[in-house]
Amino acid sequence: MLHDIFIAPFQDMFSAPDFLLQVLWEGLVSGILYALIALGFVLIFRSSRIFNFAQGIMVVFAALTLVGLHAMGVPAWICVLLTLGVMFVLAMAIERVVLRPLVGQPDIILFMATIGITLFLIGFGEIIFGGENKVMITEELGIPTGSWTLEPFGGLLILEQKDVTAVVVAALLVIGLLVFLSRTQMGRAIRALGDDSQAALSVGISLHTIWVLVWFIAGIIALVTGIAWGARAGVSFALEVIAYKALPVLMLGGLESIAGAIIGGLMIGLLEKLFEIYWGQPLMGGNTETWFAFVLALLVLLFRPQGLFGEKIIERV
Amino acid sequence: MLYRTAGQYKTSYASDQAVFPVRQDAILLGIILLLAWVIFPLTASEFTFQTLLIPILIYSLAALGLNVLTGYAGQLSLGTAAFMGVGAYACYKMVTLMPWLNPLVAILLSGAFSAGIGVAFGIPSLRIKGFYLAIATLAAQFFLVWLFEKWGWLYNYNSSGAIQVPNLTMFGVYVAGPQASTIVQYYVVLVVVSLLTWVTINLTRGTLGRTWKATRDMDFAAELIGINLMRSKLTAFAISSYIVGVAGALFVFMWRGAAEPNLFDIPLSFRILFIAIIGGLGSIMGNYLGAILIVGLPVMLNTVPEALGIHIDSATVEHLNIMIVGSLIIFFLIIEPHGLARLWALIREKLVIWPFPH
Amino acid sequence: MKHFTKMALAATVAAGLCTSAAADIYAPNLSYRTGPFAATGIPLMNGQKDYFTMINERDGGIGGVKIEFDECETGYSTEKGVECYEKTKGRAVVTQPWSTGITLQVLPKTNVDMIPILAPGYGFSPMADGKVFQWAFNAPGSYWDAASMILKFISQDNLDNLKGKKIAFLHLDHPFGKEPLPFLEAKAAQHGFELLPIPVGLKEMQNQSAQWLQIRRERPDYVIMWGWGAMNAGAITEAVKTKFPMENFIGTWWSGHDADLKIVGEDGKGYKSISFSRPMLDAAIQADIKKYVVDAGKSQSNPEEMSGVFYNRGLVISMILAEGIKAAQDHFKVGEINAEQLRWGLENLNVTEERLAELGMTGMVAPFKTSCSDHTGHSGGWVLEWDGKAFVEASDHLTPDSASIQPLEVEKAAEYAAANAPWPINEECK
Repeated sequence: MLHDIFIAPFQDMFSAPDFLLQVLWEGLVSGILYALIALGFVLIFRSSRIFNFAQGIMVVFAALTLVGLHAMGVPAWICVLLTLGVMFVLAMAIERVVLRPLVGQPDIILFMATIGITLFLIGFGEIIFGGENKVMITEELGIPTGSWTLEPFGGLLILEQKDVTAVVVAALLVIGLLVFLSRTQMGRAIRALGDDSQAALSVGISLHTIWVLVWFIAGIIALVTGIAWGARAGVSFALEVIAYKALPVLMLGGLESIAGAIIGGLMIGLLEKLFEIYWGQPLMGGNTETWFAFVLALLVLLFRPQGLFGEKIIERV
Repeated sequence: MLYRTAGQYKTSYASDQAVFPVRQDAILLGIILLLAWVIFPLTASEFTFQTLLIPILIYSLAALGLNVLTGYAGQLSLGTAAFMGVGAYACYKMVTLMPWLNPLVAILLSGAFSAGIGVAFGIPSLRIKGFYLAIATLAAQFFLVWLFEKWGWLYNYNSSGAIQVPNLTMFGVYVAGPQASTIVQYYVVLVVVSLLTWVTINLTRGTLGRTWKATRDMDFAAELIGINLMRSKLTAFAISSYIVGVAGALFVFMWRGAAEPNLFDIPLSFRILFIAIIGGLGSIMGNYLGAILIVGLPVMLNTVPEALGIHIDSATVEHLNIMIVGSLIIFFLIIEPHGLARLWALIREKLVIWPFPH
Repeated sequence: MKHFTKMALAATVAAGLCTSAAADIYAPNLSYRTGPFAATGIPLMNGQKDYFTMINERDGGIGGVKIEFDECETGYSTEKGVECYEKTKGRAVVTQPWSTGITLQVLPKTNVDMIPILAPGYGFSPMADGKVFQWAFNAPGSYWDAASMILKFISQDNLDNLKGKKIAFLHLDHPFGKEPLPFLEAKAAQHGFELLPIPVGLKEMQNQSAQWLQIRRERPDYVIMWGWGAMNAGAITEAVKTKFPMENFIGTWWSGHDADLKIVGEDGKGYKSISFSRPMLDAAIQADIKKYVVDAGKSQSNPEEMSGVFYNRGLVISMILAEGIKAAQDHFKVGEINAEQLRWGLENLNVTEERLAELGMTGMVAPFKTSCSDHTGHSGGWVLEWDGKAFVEASDHLTPDSASIQPLEVEKAAEYAAANAPWPINEECK
């Protein structure tokens, strides 16, 4: 038993290093995508104290809009622009109809409201786009679909080009976002609102504009996530559940930390894949990915309540 | 006029603190109980029992359990469904291992198991709070559902991995399983729900309830006046999980008749959270109002187009239904974030002074 | 306030239930056009619906009585399923639960409510034992039939050829996915092949990289898939990605949906799926569907979907119900049959080659016959192979190994009856 837990998995890892690399690569790709979703959460939480559960359905909605527009015969890149337009309108609508009347309510009420938004978008999306699984317009967007086969250690390592693209685009998006937040006036306003909303309001930062802006940025992130994930398995409402994957990332990384979201996402992506392959499948009947990240985050928090990167005080209810 | 309180004098502290300081409240409750205990069973159809009465009662109970934790003790939990699952599986194991056990006793005992597990998963609440705690309760949610799936002993190693409620008798009458009649099941549910509601009302009004409220409102202050936070939080987790566990056992044994693990997945947790929040956190009655809205509304919406003679495709009805429920949640949160119970309190206040508002 | 709401609800519900007229045969379908499984549900539901629309338009119903084919949306949720069952059971002659979860839930109730369950090709495999499951039918084939035919196909009709081979069983971690496990395990022990069950969680359907890494590590000779909804597309894209040889990848009949394979297109060439039905685009029935349903604007389907496997399977499924109704009408000499009479009809189905020709459905399903002890019929099926654009036939007609399935059915049915005692057994049936 002890041998199975502590020794055998490592023997496996070293006996097939190419396979280990493949596992790490897969973990890295999902980790990047978790990080992206977590980033959407963090941005909105920082600026408005809203735990935005609708991020998952926004991913689906953005991807469906993109595919749906393309099915109507619109050229791919114009679809992307139009989808961004739709996400902007959505951000405005959410701000106007839902958030503005709820300003100053307890956090849990706002959280519930975002679940309300989720339900509304599910129903709305299914009426407009139907429930069928759709094919992401990967090639039309110019994303390469082939794969590179490497042979490290005389083994086999397959890198999907679209996964590589996803990693690169996600990295660019994150860098772009960091630059936006630290170098532009709007970005600084967002951060100001996160640090001290009263002070930010008193120097003339418009709450409503910022909210529309962060929800729009969350929409852009949703679209990128939707394209990346949709390219892997098609676009359908089942994609909505990936939002849950971002939650343990937030626990680990902290609700307010952008760096935490990225590092936490990568960590969880890598560790859950390693655990599933080397411990979960041989010893526990598999499928441990559903809970591993949560339990890991829980254990970390028990010993380090501020999270890995969070601020010292977590005193929020 | 209907609700005039004039002439009802409080002459002692005890009468001022009574459960029903106003006589009309007691009368109203009497009418509701009469309806629930006598009128509905006499008049309701099988469909009404199965899709409205029984589920509303069970969901109310589950929301009540959550409300003890979230509404009274201020600990947000997203793992309610998993604790319901613990109750249901515990009950299943008990009745299959000990077929002689009285089903009602089994149902009430099954809560004890989920209380134990609830306390275990409640321990992180001593270190973390707020949304972090909420996400931590998701660990319970996902881990337990996975366990229901993987641990064959729990479902007696049957091939489908689902549990099926056997026929159970109590005093020679079938109370659970396919042979049980709906009305008997309704009464079993009603007895349990009434009993636990009564107990909870008393608990929340007593020392324990006040300890919880103090913890919720300001934990430092509570600690300063000598409240043991650990005990306060863990009792809240235990009692909440107990009620939720019993609700879970009722859910499967008195209503569904069979359950697969993913029944206890996160949508159910959210549903119960909705009921508790739309009903009103920190209110007992709110759970019932919330359950009527969240459980009853979709059923009603489904029958509306048919009743009006419009033929809409049932898939579209379902989509519209989801949209309407989503919008209504937002709507109610906007008009009254403190829930339907507060809305009723406002109406009642108006009624008290009606027709002479001053 | 509470009781007013309740009364209002009860009143509305009562009003809602009383308005529909009862002159027709009411055959509801617990459809799922929404939710994560909608992708596979929609074409099936469309096929089922179009068949009855065609029957009503062309023949004025069955035996002169119109069929009121109504859908009640469940979104694949058991809770909604029970609601639909309760709502429809008053008038319905049949219940078509469309999910293993809902089937398990309604199965014990139908005994008491006396409504036949029709679950063609799904549900609970031991339902084949009609003595125990008097009210449940899963004609023309059960999951164990499917598993048996798949094993036969990959072993070239001799299971001993599989000795020493490793077969991965990729399945949805759900009652549906676990259904064939007892049969496969028994066969693995008997014929000495290694069975490796790989579960896919409901939340991991679109993210199966861990499962496919396991497949890559274990290097199984074959992968058998029991997938549903979004899981199929996820598995097939991952298989392409990990370069698993497609010709050794074979799915159950719910994993052979054209749209799932279109995602990978040419790369999916060689993927196979067992099927109890075949799309016959030149069958006579297609013209009638086009004339009476599509051209009349009464179909929700589209030409692409209508040429696919699932839509045509929907037609076959409705045909089975229609044949049951007809058999009952002929036997009892009444038009408006009730649920109990339909039970007789479904128990005495005899879909012969000639009958299929009359229906214009030659080749769309293999001939089969049910009896009081055999509620499945075990029609057998074909292996369909994806050629990059469509599913084409890749085998002759296969039959399940009923000799080894039947004892297992009887055993598991008896277990079920014992666990649910007292359970009525049809003693008259030999």
